[in-house]
Amino acid sequence: MSAEPQSSARSRRSFLLLFPVSIIAGVFSSLGVAAVRFLRPRIAQASPNKWLDVAPVNELPRTIPLLQKIRADHVNGWAISQEEHQIYILPGGNQVLSAVCPHEGCEVNWEKETNRFSCPCHESYFAADGSRISGPARRGLDPLPSRIQAGQLQVQYQSFENNAAERVRRT
Amino acid sequence: MNASGGENQRDGITADLTRPQAWLSTTAGIVLMLLVVQFATGLLLAFYYVPSVDHAYTTVAYMERASSSGSWIRSLHHFGSQLLPLFLFLHVIRLFSCEAYKHWKKSWLAAILLLALVMAAGGTGYSLPWDARAFFSTRVAEGLVGGLPLLGRLSRLWLLGGDDISTVTLSRFFALHVLVTPFLILLVVGWRLAKIGPIQRAGNTHVATNDLIQQLIDVGQISEDEAKSPMFRSVIDRASRQANNQKDEGPEQPSRYSVVLRNCIAAGIVFIVLGIWAARFPAPLGPSVSEVTADYLPRPGAQFLWLYQSLKYVPGGLGSIVGVIIPGLAILILLTLPWLNLSSLKKYTKEPQRLIAGVILAGFLLWVLAMTTTSYLSDRRDPRIRAQLAKQSAQEETVRTSPFRPVSIKAGADSTAQSRTDNAPPTAYLRLCVSCHGPHGEGATQGTLRFPPLIGVSNKPGRTVSDIIALLNDPKSYGIEPPMRSFATKLSEDEKSQIAEWIVRLK
Repeated sequence: MSAEPQSSARSRRSFLLLFPVSIIAGVFSSLGVAAVRFLRPRIAQASPNKWLDVAPVNELPRTIPLLQKIRADHVNGWAISQEEHQIYILPGGNQVLSAVCPHEGCEVNWEKETNRFSCPCHESYFAADGSRISGPARRGLDPLPSRIQAGQLQVQYQSFENNAAERVRRT
Repeated sequence: MNASGGENQRDGITADLTRPQAWLSTTAGIVLMLLVVQFATGLLLAFYYVPSVDHAYTTVAYMERASSSGSWIRSLHHFGSQLLPLFLFLHVIRLFSCEAYKHWKKSWLAAILLLALVMAAGGTGYSLPWDARAFFSTRVAEGLVGGLPLLGRLSRLWLLGGDDISTVTLSRFFALHVLVTPFLILLVVGWRLAKIGPIQRAGNTHVATNDLIQQLIDVGQISEDEAKSPMFRSVIDRASRQANNQKDEGPEQPSRYSVVLRNCIAAGIVFIVLGIWAARFPAPLGPSVSEVTADYLPRPGAQFLWLYQSLKYVPGGLGSIVGVIIPGLAILILLTLPWLNLSSLKKYTKEPQRLIAGVILAGFLLWVLAMTTTSYLSDRRDPRIRAQLAKQSAQEETVRTSPFRPVSIKAGADSTAQSRTDNAPPTAYLRLCVSCHGPHGEGATQGTLRFPPLIGVSNKPGRTVSDIIALLNDPKSYGIEPPMRSFATKLSEDEKSQIAEWIVRLK
């Protein structure tokens, strides 16, 4: 006898509850939408790559890869920071390799004794030309665009996705 | 029968929603909503903000000009911080009108504490954007605190974290604003909400028939068989309904639902108004401290205009009394009012607490209203001030609409370490030369005397290391006049060459 009216009272109560709940939901969702827009990571548009001076032509290595540090500008949000990157100039200066291991991104060392690059983190090994020998890395060291201009060897710094057999540039 | 109960409840709600004075008791909901908005927007702003004098302004400008929704979020935070004390004050007035200091002492205490904390949060927050008005407000805070009797010097040093406004000061204001005051506010609000929870639940318990019967069985009044008889059941049912109706009928006790609904509607309306306002009017961001010109007129936010205007009228040293001691004492009296022993005042008035709170609240209200109005009027009436303020807001608008340019931050620590070792002068220089030529060889003037800078001296002819050593021994022979004197005997040969080599390297 009382089952039917009871449930209608309950549904009325839950209907009435909709008002305050929807007001609270409105406040929170408008703040939430703004929060997502506000916090969304911003990827700087791929700026035309700058040619960075690395070394004068007469100082290029003859026999073994030469480790060099270059500084490239990075725009992140409000800040332009100069970050240091390590590169290897291969003998003759025809090719420049990024020292970043394509496995997890540690910087590789040149081993004079064994004539190869070795990664200190997880023991990936690369030949003197950068090609992969062994270890968890799935590809060889990444070559960087380079050129010789006005007696200077110049490179464009680029970074690539880790752990991929293909070379995919990071934007 | 239950349906009729529902009807009654709905009619009660409709009657309650249309009762105008019931809407006066929605300040709590509005304050709670504004606090949620302040916490949410403040948390978001902290994702980009950097509390250091060389980046604070840049990061705020980035949020304002480059990020999506940043301007709206900042504006919500800015104008929300002005509405919060307003509605808290209204809340206190409402509590005063129902004598909360007597009947709901904890509500009273919480409201006054929140008002004080919200003003403190507003004061510390004003410094954070590190624009011109932030800088001036920090100066004023410094002056107010420094002018306190006895403790002035000490509290000024503690506030600034040193002898001067610096990046350390900004860090302190940041920590006070985003960690200390929000934590205290959360404590007070949490304590307050935990307090009302059980009271409201107890007041609304409907004694159900089944519960009553079960209780009667439990205490052994009736057997389970008796309880099953329909007649007995209907008797108990009627009794419990009567008891519940009596509870609901009191006009002074609106149901919990309608209280929540009213608070939600009022808070929702205030939020919509605030949101539209914030979308239309961005929060002000003056020129950065390094770009500010001498004719800049700083104006504080609406919640501090009364203080700003009052400080124009009181002679310098008394500013701290107007700005710190009087408001502080008023808050202290209001806080302790429920527990004050005022029996000695009983011969003047029956309600000494009401008198004291009334005088303080009315006095403060009149003062704030008068000063805020005067401040607005005097800014509007003076054509020069009006023109300058219009010029400033036009400049702000130009800056706001121009694209944001990222700024360069210094690369790794190695370069700073490098320059530090490069710049460190030899100890002998610090002993004998620094008072005239400056700690970095930058030179100085004292009255008519000019002490030339040493920076770049090595570019001039005749200033090699050996030349400088010779010059230290006999300045006259290099055509250098007193007050530069000979250091031939005051410096060892080693010290002379150290100084000379350092000067040659100076850049």
